[in-house]
Amino acid sequence: MNLDALIPDYVRNFQAYHPSRPDHILQLEYGVPFLNRLNNNENPLGPPPAAARVIAAFTPDRASLYPNGDSYDLRQALGDRIGIAPDRFLVGNGSCDVIASVIKAFCQLGDNIITADKTFAVYEWVAEFSGIEARLVPLLGYTFDPQAILDRIDDRTKIIFVCNPNNPTGSYWKRQVLVDFLEKAGNNLIVVVDEAYREYVEDPEYPDSIDLMKRFPNLVTFRTFSKMYALAGLRVGYLAGNDDVVEVVRQTSVAYSVNVQAQQAALAAISDDHEHIIATRTMVRMAKSFMLAICDNLALDTVSGEGNYMMIKVPINDMMMYRRLMKRGMMVRTMTGFRFPGWIRITLREKSVMELFAEALQKEIKSIQSTGRTW
Amino acid sequence: MIRHSFQKKNIFIRLPFSADFLTLAMAFADKGARGFGYGDRETGGLVLAIEELFSFYERESTKGSTVEIEMEDQGYRLVLSLFFCLADPDMRAFNLTWNVNHDSQESLEMLGPMIAARTLSSLRLEFGADEKVILRLTRNREYSMAERVALPPSGNTSTLRLLNPSRDDLYHFASMAATYGSPFLPPFLARPEMAADMLESGHLNALLVAGDDWIMGGVLWKPLTDSCLELYGPYLFIDNPDDEAMTLLMDEAVKCISRSWFKGLVRRQGALAGHERFFDFLGEIQLSGKNDVNATYYYRQLKEESSGVVYCTGNLAIFLDEQYRRLCLPRQIRTASNLRLRNASVLAVELENARSLAVMRPLCAGKDLDTNIRAHLDLLHGQGIENFIVELDTGRSEDVAFADALEKNSFLPRLLIPDAGLGDLVIYDHCKLNAQS
Repeated sequence: MNLDALIPDYVRNFQAYHPSRPDHILQLEYGVPFLNRLNNNENPLGPPPAAARVIAAFTPDRASLYPNGDSYDLRQALGDRIGIAPDRFLVGNGSCDVIASVIKAFCQLGDNIITADKTFAVYEWVAEFSGIEARLVPLLGYTFDPQAILDRIDDRTKIIFVCNPNNPTGSYWKRQVLVDFLEKAGNNLIVVVDEAYREYVEDPEYPDSIDLMKRFPNLVTFRTFSKMYALAGLRVGYLAGNDDVVEVVRQTSVAYSVNVQAQQAALAAISDDHEHIIATRTMVRMAKSFMLAICDNLALDTVSGEGNYMMIKVPINDMMMYRRLMKRGMMVRTMTGFRFPGWIRITLREKSVMELFAEALQKEIKSIQSTGRTW
Repeated sequence: MIRHSFQKKNIFIRLPFSADFLTLAMAFADKGARGFGYGDRETGGLVLAIEELFSFYERESTKGSTVEIEMEDQGYRLVLSLFFCLADPDMRAFNLTWNVNHDSQESLEMLGPMIAARTLSSLRLEFGADEKVILRLTRNREYSMAERVALPPSGNTSTLRLLNPSRDDLYHFASMAATYGSPFLPPFLARPEMAADMLESGHLNALLVAGDDWIMGGVLWKPLTDSCLELYGPYLFIDNPDDEAMTLLMDEAVKCISRSWFKGLVRRQGALAGHERFFDFLGEIQLSGKNDVNATYYYRQLKEESSGVVYCTGNLAIFLDEQYRRLCLPRQIRTASNLRLRNASVLAVELENARSLAVMRPLCAGKDLDTNIRAHLDLLHGQGIENFIVELDTGRSEDVAFADALEKNSFLPRLLIPDAGLGDLVIYDHCKLNAQS
């Protein structure tokens, strides 16, 4: 078989993402009995209690039945909660699933999408391996630059992706910035606002993009149950948009992609999230304040905004710091792939883990500072 | 950024390994090389090499056995691989130290492999299970050296932008790099057409920085092995006090590279300011000669984990343990069993006359390791070479078997390049007491 002849150039040239090996393998390799995960922005408090009960009550016989093909009950519940028609939601196997559906729905060869250079990379990746140009606009400071994005629009621009708040910088557009941007961007393209971390934002000026869809019918919102709702292992996310837009995206979406347990846990999660959100926000706030003081003391630059994460600039390369911290049972995210070489990103977690992490970081930094060596 | 990637262009033939098929093997090399667009010199070299090697090993082979020959065009070079089975093949003549003794019939018979080895750009030996032998013969295309071109005027303050180079862009960049000059200019930049061919065939990646109508600099990377990339540069043709060009190039290049399927990235040129943002410092080797130059080795792990097992003994095990601890690399060091040595060892030698440097790589281990290394040192010393490095691959038991013999000949392990071979690469330096790591 001549495999080469079968592969489109844009697939052959794409360099795929390689996920980490499982924790138990990494523990063996680094010789640590336990790994504290600060790499994936997971919520250590676990899902809201109602969702946890649903998961615990899941019986094996239910695994033999297909899920509902388009997450009917979950969409009804989302509709009730948010106040729009259930058909304006499309639920996917995590928000990466809906990113792919949107790009497939609106883009063809020769088209382009626009996003920032230092943001969640999946928009760029899906575009590239689909043969679509990804136009990457530098951040302004650590924030999406609205004017620079507008300047890159041409007649083949189909989608703009705005990560709000931005992963990994935590910056976000306030309502007026988003409204101004949407007015200038016009109606001839889709604007996606990815709100994966929206539940962490407490600023009243943070926009409700779904509410803005009345005025801007080309607006699409992504949300996820992986972050605040701690259902990352079940993979469930959704998009909301106007009827016409969602109907088009539905054509490129795979039905039955969200499993039974994920649908039921997500449905339960939104019925019981008030206390959970308060508790999580409190935990994140405390962890951030604690870590900012630690980093300040160590003279390390940081970038943090909204979301359960912060970035720390380390005095050695990020991969080396990753390995040094792994040896101490701390798993962080290296940031070179996000175009922040020399930075790590950590998840803001419960006090006990943050204290352990702070201790590990302090030891490493002091060791580097005391020897005067960066290696 | 879309990167070029390698798309294999190859032809293949399987023949009875007998003299009756020699002319067919030669015709395969001849027609194949010409079919891929190579000229008389490249084609002639390969045909001669295959004639000599086919003839020699056909006589040693078992009657009724077969040989497989693959020719692969990599755009800037042809790789001709011979696959056959043979117990303990005689490879002595591949050593640079081999001399023909005209009074000895056995020695005269080795003339063919010796000629073959010296008509090629490089030769690699691999040994597989069931006495499988693979000879990989490489012949580079002939290229002209760069001509001088204009460089950007000093004081240029234009806005810088990154450029994903076309073939023509890279050709021009290589000419500029050669004009600008550097003690670490790789051969493909000294020959701009070669760089352009490598880019086009996906064997080289590059990122340039431009301002107005000028190319201001660039950085390049290409596979060093199947698991490791090597970075060249950045080469900058402007004074850029705030390092904007350097930052632009390195941030984007390392970001692109970090998504590749390679395990590691190595840089073996001079010191790089601000390297700690990207690299682990591996060590430095001082090269003496007309112009003393330090080769500084940096490494960046690309995959978040790259574990492995290394079999070795003695001082090499102590050295590796120290290096793995320093670099926080998860590796297990296990005690190696005694390797069954072949009769004769083979060393490949790559000479860099500009730096008076000989880089030696074990091809196969043999009972004469100690004397063979010494013979190479004597010969190369006699040719005026002042610096000797041996690259030993911890992933090949044949290589690890060289460790004791290297130490006996005053070589010391100086630094470790993770993932730069089948396993990690240990760099031995000859009697340099002032190197550091």
